[in-house]
Amino acid sequence: MVVSETKSVGALHPATWASAFTLGLVVTGYLERNAEIGRSGAILLMALSSLFLIPMVRSAQLRAVAKGVNSTAIQAYNRRFMAWTFGYMTALTISITAYQKLELTGPSVWLAALLPSIPVLGMIWTMGRYLREEEDEYLRLRAAKAALLATGILLALATAWGFLEMFRLVPHVPSWAALPLWAIGLGIGQFILARES
Amino acid sequence: MKNRLKVLRAERNWNQQDLADALGVSRQSVNAIETGKYDPSLPLAFRISEVFGLPIEQIFSRD
Repeated sequence: MVVSETKSVGALHPATWASAFTLGLVVTGYLERNAEIGRSGAILLMALSSLFLIPMVRSAQLRAVAKGVNSTAIQAYNRRFMAWTFGYMTALTISITAYQKLELTGPSVWLAALLPSIPVLGMIWTMGRYLREEEDEYLRLRAAKAALLATGILLALATAWGFLEMFRLVPHVPSWAALPLWAIGLGIGQFILARES
Repeated sequence: MKNRLKVLRAERNWNQQDLADALGVSRQSVNAIETGKYDPSLPLAFRISEVFGLPIEQIFSRD
């Protein structure tokens, strides 16, 4: 039953949906710079791109179950992470819109600037919560190993990029890019470890 | 560490999922232990021993 569900609902690989999401972000960035779609158009496109995350998580979950990883902790992790992701999109939309339309000044600018950080903290909490809730020690170890690998990749990239930036060889990257980069590293780590097992 | 999980499982006509259900772990964990890619913790080793009704040293041995 699980396998047939995988065939019908999760026919496309999660990486395909992840690529669609990434492509959506790239196209949004391109259109914002070159097609004058405006900040609100860019936010709308970014929000639409993030809808690809729903089938991505669903497909990954079905595949995991078919491969013998039926963990309620993983399901809770996916559910929470999706909720925080959409919370992030909403917070970002509110902050940018409020900053542009309401001409914020003083403490309200601080509030608008920090608002998108709240769901990001929620995402980090979700990861920590997963490690606490996962009762399967092998899956827990694998997640911890993937997180360490992601941290290593992020530290290496941030350090190297910092020096490249210092010598004016590369453009500045805002520090909020740390979490998405870490998440990409986590995905790479999980992919490598899943292949090993 | 070596283990006799696969043999003991076969003797009881269990597949990996049956053993995983009995242990309360994922099938992938059973597979990782069976193939020697992961050595279980002492609590899990004790659970495995209880499920098979055998002492740990009859299931696991050093390389």
